[in-house]
Amino acid sequence: MTAVACDDVSVAYGEVLALRNVSVAFERGRIHAVVGQNGAGKTTFARVCAGIVRPTTGRLAIDGREIRVGDVGAARLSGVELVHQSFALPPSFTVAEAMEFGSTRRTGPVYSRRALERRWRDHLASLDVAARPGDRIRDLPVETQQGVEIARALCSDARVLILDEPTAVLAPPAIERLFARIRRLRAAGVTVLVILHKIHEVLAVAETITVLRAGELVATLLPAAAMNAGDLAHAIVGSANVGATIDVPAPHAARDDKLPALELLGAATRATPDGPPLADVDLTVGHGEIVGIAGVEGNGQRTLVNAIAGLCALSAGRLNCGGRDLTRTSLLERRGHGLRIIPFERNVEGLSLSSALWQNWSARLLVAGRQLRLVDPQRLRGLCRSALERWSVRFASVDQPAGALSGGNAQKTIFAREIDDDAMLIVAAQPTRGLDIAATAFVWAALRAARERGCGVLVISSDLDELFDISDRVVVMLSGRIVGEFCAPYDLGAIGAAMTGASSAALTLATP
Amino acid sequence: MIEALVGILGAATPLIYVTLAGVLAQRSGIPHLGLEGLMIAGACAAVVASKQSSSVAFGLAVAIGVCVLGSLLLWFVIEKLRANPIIAGLGLTGLGLGGSDLAIQSIYGSEGAVRAPFALPHLGAWAGEFAGLSVLVLALPFVVGLLWLALRRTRFGLRLAASGEHPFAARSVGADPAQMRLIALALGGVLCALGGAELALGSLDVFSIGMTAGRGFMAFAAVTFGAANPLGASAAATFFALAEYLGIKAQLVLGSAAPPELLLSLPYLATIGGVWLSTRLRGGINRGSTISELREY
Repeated sequence: MTAVACDDVSVAYGEVLALRNVSVAFERGRIHAVVGQNGAGKTTFARVCAGIVRPTTGRLAIDGREIRVGDVGAARLSGVELVHQSFALPPSFTVAEAMEFGSTRRTGPVYSRRALERRWRDHLASLDVAARPGDRIRDLPVETQQGVEIARALCSDARVLILDEPTAVLAPPAIERLFARIRRLRAAGVTVLVILHKIHEVLAVAETITVLRAGELVATLLPAAAMNAGDLAHAIVGSANVGATIDVPAPHAARDDKLPALELLGAATRATPDGPPLADVDLTVGHGEIVGIAGVEGNGQRTLVNAIAGLCALSAGRLNCGGRDLTRTSLLERRGHGLRIIPFERNVEGLSLSSALWQNWSARLLVAGRQLRLVDPQRLRGLCRSALERWSVRFASVDQPAGALSGGNAQKTIFAREIDDDAMLIVAAQPTRGLDIAATAFVWAALRAARERGCGVLVISSDLDELFDISDRVVVMLSGRIVGEFCAPYDLGAIGAAMTGASSAALTLATP
Repeated sequence: MIEALVGILGAATPLIYVTLAGVLAQRSGIPHLGLEGLMIAGACAAVVASKQSSSVAFGLAVAIGVCVLGSLLLWFVIEKLRANPIIAGLGLTGLGLGGSDLAIQSIYGSEGAVRAPFALPHLGAWAGEFAGLSVLVLALPFVVGLLWLALRRTRFGLRLAASGEHPFAARSVGADPAQMRLIALALGGVLCALGGAELALGSLDVFSIGMTAGRGFMAFAAVTFGAANPLGASAAATFFALAEYLGIKAQLVLGSAAPPELLLSLPYLATIGGVWLSTRLRGGINRGSTISELREY
């Protein structure tokens, strides 16, 4: 018996085909994984199944009955619910309100606050969600928000639950708990479609695996028990991308100073809207070293980057770069000493999407010189063109707006701007988020090349696999503090425990 | 004392009706800067239509029709033509102010003020000291209470708030944010018409050009002050009306001892003070404003 069946579904966004002739029928009562690289069309596929995206062509049937495509109401009525990757809950709502606003349960028209909280208390308890009905969504930790979102999805009688990249925001122990929850739901008769991109997670939880690549199905309902990691990786990436060599230009700044590229000594800040304040942060990044910052998002990583950038003042402690005290200097002066930043939000902080590529690229040159100085756009265009070509950015013209670039090319443009000859310390915040495997490999190669040339590199990432791959050392942040430091070979359990504050033993330094 | 209460109620009622329209729009995700235009259009339409037809009920109906049409226009421009809601709202205000002026000039010549044959029905003798207040004053507590229930204690209210705060969340439970905004703006149109009619035909029976005198913007300030909660915003509007009443009273008492310009500007000063205070109380300007989130999906 099929729970969800797609028949010849295609989705076009303008010129781009996000899904192409996808036909698949998911069996009822099992855990199905849908996997693929970024941009493979996984999220679009999930949204088509949930009625949020209307496919250009194709049909959708739930429990053997065809429903109107692109109609959330119809999909929900037939029991399909979607948990979004970045949760769709209004932050000012209480947990009970978040349950109620999507509920289709028949009740009286007006509720009292007490009745509402009573109505949903049992529901939350039965799903083992650690939130009180009166708590506000914005005050909840990410894992609990996800629990609430799942509870919201199950508040009507959901028979098919679709989870879009549910592990992206979770620490390892929370991922285990999520998988346990998924298995309990399956035992209760719910069909689960889970969108994932990490191979070991897929193999840990799924019963069948369906692979999307560039909007097309390349494998359908493979039995997970018969798969190994290598085969699955091959299916996801395809043969074209394997073994591609990437040539990355590196900065020449081989200053082998004895003093570290970055030294934070007892650094502290005030709390910011982005997260908790830094408290007593001691952090050293040597020349020719990549240091990774691990931690669940929102534990002070943004504040750390802002403090290093000079965008957030230190209330205590010092910041040295190459032995020079830069504690009280502006970002501009710090840039003059070789600080370069790859910011968290490449489309917000990294690039001005409406400005031309050459303007984005030459911003570094423009802020560095005197303010009253003639600018030669023609020369900058030429410089920009050759720099972008050197970094193999795919672009049509340096006059095109930066917003027209794909994620990978946008990130390469930022790298082309930031990693120049004078770079000494490179802070890369979530440098590969949202990038596909090829672009990710490029970014890693660029960071490694910078290390070979003697730059200090600080990488902030929520992807532990990434950190383990490229870091010489991994430092764990929790609530604005450094709670552990690890060297290869990395102990996933210990790092996970440190990230969640589960073990105070993480405070002791682990040595290789 | 009672006289002061009557005066404040008279000044507050039109402001509160318009404030409630602003609350509806704000919760649905639209900062409503067209309130001034809708209010004056309502006042103008109510007076002109009741003068031409000799029926207050007809005048009220026409005012509602005009304001709902204006609101639909605003919705169309924002949702379908993807205009910036602030610019669109200010445009609607310009349209209301200029349109009412034009209508009066072309129908009655250059008089600047039009007298209606009668005002809205008053409470009458049973209300004692309050006899001179219109029925819309009596209806106000019910309207505020109903709106509070609808916004804060029903699934509809939650979906409306979700449309404003997180449109994608609303969409993914099957509530179309554009449709919720249509409902909010249309209902707001009705409330603006009532506010405008009360202003022109409540304690007076006259429409004069520009008579709203910025009350629509004061209402918008009250929405901010009251955090888009019907009760809080109504209280804020009452506070502004109190300032207005005190200004008029002080003018009578002090006569020429105090500069009248200063006293007349009291309600506006109170508005500025109120907005400043509410911003301070909430710790700075709200970062995730509805304007930016309106385009999120």
